[in-house]
Amino acid sequence: MKKIYLIAWLGFLGGGLPAQTNVPATPPTSRPPTRINSDHGEFDLSARRAIYYDHVRVEDPRMTLTCDRLTADLPQSEAQERHIVAETNVVIYAVDEKGQTNHATSDRAIYDYRVEAGVTNETVTLTGHAMMESAQGTLTGEPIFWDRTRNRLTATDQKMVFRQNISPAATHTNAAPAPGQPGTEKNSGSPP
Amino acid sequence: MKRPRNSLLPIAGTLLAAGFLAGAGPAQNGVTGRAGNFSSAEYFAPPHPLQMKSRLSGAEARPVSGGLLVIQELKLETFNTNGLVEVIVTAPDCIYDTQAGVARSAGHLRLETGDGTSHIEGDGFLWRQDSSLLTISNNVRTVINTPSEIKTGL
Repeated sequence: MKKIYLIAWLGFLGGGLPAQTNVPATPPTSRPPTRINSDHGEFDLSARRAIYYDHVRVEDPRMTLTCDRLTADLPQSEAQERHIVAETNVVIYAVDEKGQTNHATSDRAIYDYRVEAGVTNETVTLTGHAMMESAQGTLTGEPIFWDRTRNRLTATDQKMVFRQNISPAATHTNAAPAPGQPGTEKNSGSPP
Repeated sequence: MKRPRNSLLPIAGTLLAAGFLAGAGPAQNGVTGRAGNFSSAEYFAPPHPLQMKSRLSGAEARPVSGGLLVIQELKLETFNTNGLVEVIVTAPDCIYDTQAGVARSAGHLRLETGDGTSHIEGDGFLWRQDSSLLTISNNVRTVINTPSEIKTGL
């Protein structure tokens, strides 16, 4: 299988968010809260695990996620670790540093955040019909692995379609581009 | 790890001391009285047998048939082994099954973390004391306030 590394690929999925690095930490500042809504929920207070069911919606200042089931391990307040799994009909909208909304879908998304020996690792893994789409193009792969710390995308059996911007002036029309407008397709999947 | 103590005992003790539950049988029929400002504690198993694991309290407890208690102004607190409050659950009322160690209500519930940074609300709940499992039936709303240097989501 062939993997590609797309460093800072188009600022996908809020890649421009302040990525966690192993630079000295800055003092905490307030930020809008994260909200998780769902129809039902189950909370294991011993295992510190929360499971949200049905119409799950996560709203973060720069990201919205919907899915059918979301499992979150709740850390101690001082713990430097997060593990969240979103399952079934996962849809993510994220705003990048340029204010563009990016879009990802998959059957399953796993978020991991961990600080070990002063080094931060923050990753998102999309599996099952994984697709990421931005204004510049669409990436599919199985899985799509996003290293948020290094702002790097890795896709196995990946397929990319770059969107071609056809300006109204060039086409002498003022019609909006069709959703399925032609693009440049590049398949970099496994070699034969 | 099995829970070392049955938390309904302190409640029953409170009620008995107040002159309720005449006969003290497991299945009391009808309303037998009420008690105010009660609490029920559960402790960790060794090696922390003196540390409180959870405390269920209420402004008022009224026994009804089937070993049930109707609790007003429920407050449930859980602690870690250092004695720090982990979560505080409050509800206007609930029915507590003293035999099964289960509390339930169709009403509103609010759970707040001990550090006050996050809370969960919902309508209708079931609390299983043995497994420390809280099920919220409807309209689950969670708000997580996090310092900016720690991320919370995907």
